[in-house]
Amino acid sequence: MKFFILAYKNLKRRKSRSFLTIGGVAVAVAVLVCLLGFNAGYQEALTSDIDKMGYQVVVTAKGCPYEAATMILNGEAGLKFIDEDIYKQITSDPDIDKITPLLAQLAYDPEKMEGKGGFTNYLGIEESYMPLKPNVEIITGEWFSGNDVNEAILGYDAAESEKKSVGDKISIPGKDITLTIVGVFNRTGSQEDGTVFLPLKTTQRIFDIEGKLTGIGIKLKKIEKISEFEERLYPMASIQVISMSQVKGTILNLVNSAKILIMSVAFIAIFVAIIGVINTILMSVFERTQEIGIMKAIGASKLDIFKLIWIETLIICTLGGVFGSLVAIFGGNLTELLVRKVMPYAPGGKLLLITPELLLFSFLGVIIIGVISGLYPAFRAASMRPIEVIRSGE
Amino acid sequence: MKDFAIKTSKLKKTYSSESEKIVALKEIDLEIKPGEFVTIMGPSGAGKTTFLNLVGCLDKPTSGGLDILGCNPMELNEGKLSRIRVDKIGFVFEDFLLVSSLNALENVQLPLIFAKNFKNNTNPETLLKRVGLEHRLTHFPNELSGGELQRVAVARALVNNPQILLADEPTGNLDTKNAQGLFDLFRELNREEGLTIVVATHNLRLGHSTDRIIHLNDGRIEQDERLVK
Repeated sequence: MKFFILAYKNLKRRKSRSFLTIGGVAVAVAVLVCLLGFNAGYQEALTSDIDKMGYQVVVTAKGCPYEAATMILNGEAGLKFIDEDIYKQITSDPDIDKITPLLAQLAYDPEKMEGKGGFTNYLGIEESYMPLKPNVEIITGEWFSGNDVNEAILGYDAAESEKKSVGDKISIPGKDITLTIVGVFNRTGSQEDGTVFLPLKTTQRIFDIEGKLTGIGIKLKKIEKISEFEERLYPMASIQVISMSQVKGTILNLVNSAKILIMSVAFIAIFVAIIGVINTILMSVFERTQEIGIMKAIGASKLDIFKLIWIETLIICTLGGVFGSLVAIFGGNLTELLVRKVMPYAPGGKLLLITPELLLFSFLGVIIIGVISGLYPAFRAASMRPIEVIRSGE
Repeated sequence: MKDFAIKTSKLKKTYSSESEKIVALKEIDLEIKPGEFVTIMGPSGAGKTTFLNLVGCLDKPTSGGLDILGCNPMELNEGKLSRIRVDKIGFVFEDFLLVSSLNALENVQLPLIFAKNFKNNTNPETLLKRVGLEHRLTHFPNELSGGELQRVAVARALVNNPQILLADEPTGNLDTKNAQGLFDLFRELNREEGLTIVVATHNLRLGHSTDRIIHLNDGRIEQDERLVK
């Protein structure tokens, strides 16, 4: 029999209490892993989303640039319109490498999601859209046959969820128009996977907004030139230039502020877990006063008792760490679902990035916590005098 | 080898509380030879347990000299005292003091965890067999009778092959038959292995089965009686 077995037997003796304490530690670890994982994942997903967008700069109607950016990232409609003429004016700018007009629209479809109803995003595009999107390609079918034809290309998920393929017909709710599906895009992992793409002119005609756009996507020859480019567009009163890297920075800043708040909550959870561990071990030390006295009487040194109690704490924390990590790994998807529901903008891809390094970090953290929380109970136990237990004989 | 296992000179122990000072032992001068089987007798409060606790390195004297197998506990720190307890002394208590969550075998194994010198051990199972408990190895303390519990406690006290066995009222919770059985076991260990045994008891009849009876009263040696066998 070794110290470890003895410590394990002690914990096993008080099963429900040990289990609850391990649960407390596990929750704290899971929260920590999920939060840190979320932070890393969100940053990566956002960066990848913005990179996949292909545009470095978006021109939209004047308003809140971040709202506009969020809408564009989400593939949402609802943006104010700008005149198509502006597109024609900007196209000749010397700093522009690639440029494409965009017209996002939204329609409520009562049949969507198996009768539950939902919004469908429509994006009016031109052929210039494709060079800006190096990761987008048509996997089945082909590009529109003209600029103003009743045809649609579906995003991967849109085709999947509607169970439509090339040659099928779709209609836009509330509009007396039937569109023929001519192509399906590949999966990009971005919000556009759920979008229905139409030729720009068709979109303008169907939604009765001739000559209007909701945005212009631009890739500059050199991103450093953005301020000069912005300055040149400044005289156009009705538009604003949004740099996606700025948007990224701002969103990350917002997420970071939220993170600090959530981290404080996580630290409270960890603190409560520590108190729980100390309480459990201390209680068991007090309950075992006689037992510890016996052990000391038959030769256990202070260090032996200290070790024994410390090992108990470490077992609790290690098991808590293991269960917490498992909960974080397997319950992470649930957290992701929750986060997606409450976040105003959640990028595509995985939000929760749980890496081995993160797990190791959290695990080491919990071991250190265990070592610290075990100190006081172990010290109390080690300081007990055997004589006080034995003296009952006299 | 010294000609004594335990030697005390003017050994004194006082306990102080806020209101009073109790002198439990008053200048005890005593020598116990290696291999002696000694009984400490006396009424309650005579100082028997205090004496055994001092000899067992569970407590430190207030003044006087104490030599246990060549060591002076008064000069040793707590760590070294626990080393003496685990390596050289076996202790049997009136209330058995077994760990309730461990079975008989594990209770006997317990001192081995704390002993650093593994070479000097007796196999716990062999010991339990010797005390007649080979059929009770996996039984927990609440499944054992008083006599069996005390025999487990004796096995535990012997597992590190101590040179001195101390027993404080070991028969206090036993019936006559079990009490006699325990003393027979002590006698056997004393004869066969030369173990020095010091037992505190109220039982005069059992005391007479040992080599020597030291009568304590009010913290003093009243009579030191060597029994001729």
